[in-house]
Amino acid sequence: VILRGVKLAVIAAVLAVATATARADDRLLTEQTFKVDPPGALVVDTGFIVGLPAALPTGLSTGIGAGIMHTCGCHLAYGALASWSSASASSETWTVTHDDLRLRATGAIRNDVGRGSLALRLGVGATLVHEDRVRNQGQRAGLSGMDLEQTATEMLPAADLEAVVGLRIFGAWAFQVAAGPTATYFDSHVRGGWTAELGVAWHP
Amino acid sequence: MASVKGTLALCLLAACGDIQNFSGEVPPLATVVVQVDGTITDATSLRVALVWGEQWLPEPLCVLPASGSAAAVIAAGCRDPFGFVPQQVDANAAITPGTPESFELPTLPDASLLVGDLTARVGYASLVVYDDRDGDGTLKLARANRLSNPDGPGGSDDTDPMPMFRLRDTVYGASFVSMTQPDQRLAYREGAFVQSAFYPRAGCGDPPPAFSVLAAGGFSASDAIAATLAGMLPQEDPATCSQTAPPEDATIHIPVAAPADVAEVACTESTADSSVRYREPEAMSPDFTGRRTACVMVPTFGTDGSGSGSGTIELIVTGVVDGSDADSCAGLTHYILKGCRETPDCGVPDWDHSLAPPDWWPC
Repeated sequence: VILRGVKLAVIAAVLAVATATARADDRLLTEQTFKVDPPGALVVDTGFIVGLPAALPTGLSTGIGAGIMHTCGCHLAYGALASWSSASASSETWTVTHDDLRLRATGAIRNDVGRGSLALRLGVGATLVHEDRVRNQGQRAGLSGMDLEQTATEMLPAADLEAVVGLRIFGAWAFQVAAGPTATYFDSHVRGGWTAELGVAWHP
Repeated sequence: MASVKGTLALCLLAACGDIQNFSGEVPPLATVVVQVDGTITDATSLRVALVWGEQWLPEPLCVLPASGSAAAVIAAGCRDPFGFVPQQVDANAAITPGTPESFELPTLPDASLLVGDLTARVGYASLVVYDDRDGDGTLKLARANRLSNPDGPGGSDDTDPMPMFRLRDTVYGASFVSMTQPDQRLAYREGAFVQSAFYPRAGCGDPPPAFSVLAAGGFSASDAIAATLAGMLPQEDPATCSQTAPPEDATIHIPVAAPADVAEVACTESTADSSVRYREPEAMSPDFTGRRTACVMVPTFGTDGSGSGSGTIELIVTGVVDGSDADSCAGLTHYILKGCRETPDCGVPDWDHSLAPPDWWPC
């Protein structure tokens, strides 16, 4: 009798597990899957950036960036962002590489609409540009030192104005796109450009 | 105090050097120092040009022994088989005789000017001093005045008022004129160095990598022929050799010479592999005014290296060598009664006048 009871218990357990597994496979996506958390006061974002170099007259600068923004319970927000990007271009005599380190204090007007958020973000600060230029064919000609490679670093005042669009996907995570014009003061004049970012944001 | 430190730090950060992008001074890839030794009185715009050399083989008729009237025609119609043959004029600069002048090279020689493969190749250049008579700022190369040439007189492309077979500029000297004379040359080497018959300097040290200035004392034509027959390269006297790198550490001296003696360094060649382009005799006699002619056997290199006749008679014609309008560059025109442009023995000839030669045919 005991043995029969154990057999029935095992069969019942196997059937229960199988039924539960089948039910879970049938419902891979539940109403909880894309449930998003209510927006918090802090937003941390990171992503890939692309744009015109701050000082290099040609080429496309690509890299990564990150930012943080604090909302104050209204339509205003403030924060900071930093990014690094690099671009190379060549002339007949030089191959020039610029590393741009953008450092900005930001202020934004923002609004949450359902899962989405819209913002107009103004960033003011400086771009640290590190230039590395190599004399074309110099290595083949046996050049060395300054004749072969020259470097320079310069801090340039700069400002950006970006439209930021976010879409919360699940939990505290959102997909974020930002793009807009830039202005950099270089060589005694203001140089216009643009920047764009594609990344993710976290709303803790 | 803290604000002063902060300002100082920012200034230091911002003043690490000015961003230049593509502007600013461009360092030359090499600098050579050139001095013209001698006096030139009739030049109006004296300049020096860097001229890269070509790997060139003379046609067989110009190196095989000849005799009689043919020898005189060959002597007048062939250039120095050991001479420097230009391929491309590179940098140019004005120069004053007796004063060392720095001469900057902004570019490397392109691959077509180097001899060898990717792992070991070298190029040689001669520094040529000339009077820029046509005022174009560069040395214009000329070539031989061959008959029935599209570029020649009456040819289909004869539209240039200054034909290419007459030097527009006057050459007064070169640092590298011939392998049978002492020379100083600019060398550019990539990779390893393999001694070859490209302006050889056997017995001297290898050229250093990249740019360098080489010097050698030269070898005699008889030594060169004897060494070639023995399957070797003619030897330079090591005491006359030098290799200097970087090139600005040496001064390249260009002795002034009579223009007629050095004009060949500005004479380029249309073929470099010793091949000959034969011409079909026309019905009307070509204009032989000022030219010399001879009938010779078409030569071939025999197995013993001495050369032998193929049995085909050809008419060779020099450029204009007599009179005041003599050509600047030596060259032979070859006529055959039967054959093809590349060879007399082509199986199915492109022309055959052997049974009915033109009235003017002298052979």
